[in-house]
Amino acid sequence: MIRPVLAVVLNTYREVVRNKILYAILFYAVLLVLTGHFFADVSLNQERRILFDVGLGLISLFAVVLTLFAGTSVIYKEIEKKTIFLIVPRAISRGQFLLGKWGGLFLSMAVIITAMFAILLAQVMFLKLRPEVALFKGVLLVYLEVALLIAVALFFSSFSSPVITGMLTIGFFVIGRLLPDLKQILFTKYQADGFRAVAEEVLQVFPHFYLYVPSGHDLNGRSLSLTTDFVTWSYVGWAFLYTVLGCALILIVAAGVFRRRDLA
Amino acid sequence: MTEPLPLELSHVHKRFKTGFLSLRTATAVTDLSLALRTNEIVGILGPNGAGKTTTLKMVTGLIFPTAGEVRLFGEPVHRRAARARMGFLPENPYFYDYLTAEEFLHMACGLADMPLAGRQERVTAMLKRLGIHHARALPMRKFSKGMLQRAGLAAALIHDPDLVILDEPLSGLDPIGRRDFREIILDLKRAGKTVLFSSHILPDVEDLCDRVAIIVKGRLREEGALTDLLEHGTRNTDIEVRCEPARGELLAREFPTLDCASTLAGFRLGVPVGENLQELLGRLIALNLEIVSVRPHRLSLEDLFVAHAEGAPPEAPPEREARDEGAKSAPDGEPKSAPDGANQEVES
Ligand SMILES: Nc1ncnc2c1ncn2[C@@H]1O[C@H](COP(=O)(O)OP(=O)(O)OP(=O)(O)O)[C@@H](O)[C@H]1O
Ligand SMILES: [Mg+2]
Repeated sequence: MIRPVLAVVLNTYREVVRNKILYAILFYAVLLVLTGHFFADVSLNQERRILFDVGLGLISLFAVVLTLFAGTSVIYKEIEKKTIFLIVPRAISRGQFLLGKWGGLFLSMAVIITAMFAILLAQVMFLKLRPEVALFKGVLLVYLEVALLIAVALFFSSFSSPVITGMLTIGFFVIGRLLPDLKQILFTKYQADGFRAVAEEVLQVFPHFYLYVPSGHDLNGRSLSLTTDFVTWSYVGWAFLYTVLGCALILIVAAGVFRRRDLA
Repeated sequence: MTEPLPLELSHVHKRFKTGFLSLRTATAVTDLSLALRTNEIVGILGPNGAGKTTTLKMVTGLIFPTAGEVRLFGEPVHRRAARARMGFLPENPYFYDYLTAEEFLHMACGLADMPLAGRQERVTAMLKRLGIHHARALPMRKFSKGMLQRAGLAAALIHDPDLVILDEPLSGLDPIGRRDFREIILDLKRAGKTVLFSSHILPDVEDLCDRVAIIVKGRLREEGALTDLLEHGTRNTDIEVRCEPARGELLAREFPTLDCASTLAGFRLGVPVGENLQELLGRLIALNLEIVSVRPHRLSLEDLFVAHAEGAPPEAPPEREARDEGAKSAPDGEPKSAPDGANQEVES
C-alpha cells in the first residue's frame, strides 16, 4: 500500500531534479544567497541581522518560486504527455497518486532548501558568526511553507490548467501572506457588523502563509523579527501542526476532486 | 460459478463533454456489453474512431462510463484491488523521458506493490524477454517507437497480471517485433492468463483470438468465436477435381446445378448452399474423378469487418467472390462463362 506511493514520490523527485531549468534557477539562488547581505549597508552590528534575515528571506523566496514552477505543472504534464496512462490503471488510488506527487515535490524542495541553507551556514561560519538557533527555526518554517504551498498547487492542478493553477496558487499565497494586514484593514475600515464578521471568516479559510515569514507576524498578529525576539519552539510546533493538518485537509479535498476526473 | 469473470462490461455508455463550457457532447460508446472468460484471448476490432481506446480506458479506470458498469474479477474497476491483477499497455505508450528503461520498470514494480526483494531479477528478466536489455541504461527519450512499445509491454507484464489489456499492441512494430509480441500473447494464454486487445489489423486478430468483438461507431456489432462469426457467413463450397479438360462437357451435363469453372489441372465446381455435399461427392467419386480439395468458401474476417464498417448487413459482400473467380479463371484463357455463372449464382 505504501510502495505505490513511494514509487510516485521517487519518480516525481527524479523529474524535478533531472530538470535542467531547475539548475539555472538554483544557480542564481545560490549567487543571491551568497551576496545578499552586500546589498544592505553593512555596519558590524547590523551584519548579523541582515545576513540572517536576507539569507533566509532569499531561501524562502526561491523555494516558493521553484515550488510554483514545479508544482503547478506536475499533474498537467502527466495528463498532457499521457504518462498518467501508465500509472492510474495500476493498483494505486488517485488519492495515493496525489500524495505521492506531494511527497516527491516536497522531497525535491527539501533537498534544495537544505542545499541553500548549507551555503548560508557556510557563509555564517566564514564570517565567524555564531550560527544561532533562530536560523534553524527560520529554515524549518521555510520547509513548512513549501509543504503547504505544494498542497495548494496540487489542489488547483487537480481540476485546472497550469496557467489557472499558477494564478490561483500565487493569489492564495499572496493573500495568505497578507492575512494580518487584510484583517487590520477590515478592522479599521469597517464597524463590527455582520459584513466584518463574515469577511473575517472568509479570510480564515485562506492558508496562513504569513506564519512562515521569518520576520513578520505571529498567530496573534504581533510583529516579529528574526534575531531579536524570534519565534519560540512552541511557535514552530504550532506552525508544524497547522501545516500538517492543512496539507492533509487540502489533499483530501483534492483527491475527492481528482477521483472523479476523466483522464483522457 | 466460483471464480468471477476477469472482465465484465455491462451496458456501458460513454459521452464526452466537448466544446465551449462542455456544452456539447460526443457519444463514443453506446450500450456496450462484453464479458471475458478466464484464459481466452479476445480482440476488439473496429475502424478508426470506433471507440476501442475509449472502451479500454473505461476498462482500466482512466475514464468513467456515463452509464453502465465495468467489473474486473467481480469488483468495480475503481477499486484498487480490482486493478491489481490487471496489466495495461496504452496505445502508443508515452514515457517519462528522463527515466531509463530499467528505472521505469522498477517504478512499475513499485506501482504494482511488489516487494523490493526480487525486483531486480524480474526487471532484468522482462528486459531480456522483450529484447531491450541492451538499452536498459538509455534514457527512454532515445528509444525508437518499437523499443517504446516493448518497454510498455514489459511494464504491463512486470507483475505477472492475470488480465492483460493491450491497446493496438502490434502497431508500429516491424515483422520481428510483431512475431515477438504474438508469441508473448500466446504465451500468456498458455500460462492461463486472459487477454483483451484492440486492433484494426485483421490477420493479427484472425490467428490470435478465440473471440472477437466488432465495434463500429461505438456500438457492438457482432461478437463471438471467430469460427462462428465466419461460419454463418458461409456461402458455398468449392470442389476442385483433376481431370482432362475434355470431361467438362460431362460434368456440366451431370451436375447442372453446379457452377463449373476450368482451372489449370481440371475444374472447380461451385456448390451452392443447400446442396447435399455428401451425395455430390459420392457421385463424383463414382465418376472416377480425382478430388483435389473441398473448401467451404467462407466470408473472410475482412469481408465481415468491411461490411460492418460500411454499415451494411453482414452477409452481403458478393463482389469479392466474383472478383476472385474472374482473377483465377483468366490465366486459363477460357471463355468468360465462369464469372458470369458466379454472378448469377450470387444474385439468386
Ligand atoms: N477525450 C475525448 N473528448 C471528446 N471526444 C473523444 C475523446 N476521446 C475520444 N473521443 C471520441 O470518441 C470516439 C472514439 O475514439 P477512440 O479513441 O475510442 O477510437 P478508436 O477506436 O480507439 O480509434 P483508433 O483506431 O483510431 O485508435 C472518436 O469519435 C473520438 O473523437
Ligand atoms: Mg484507439
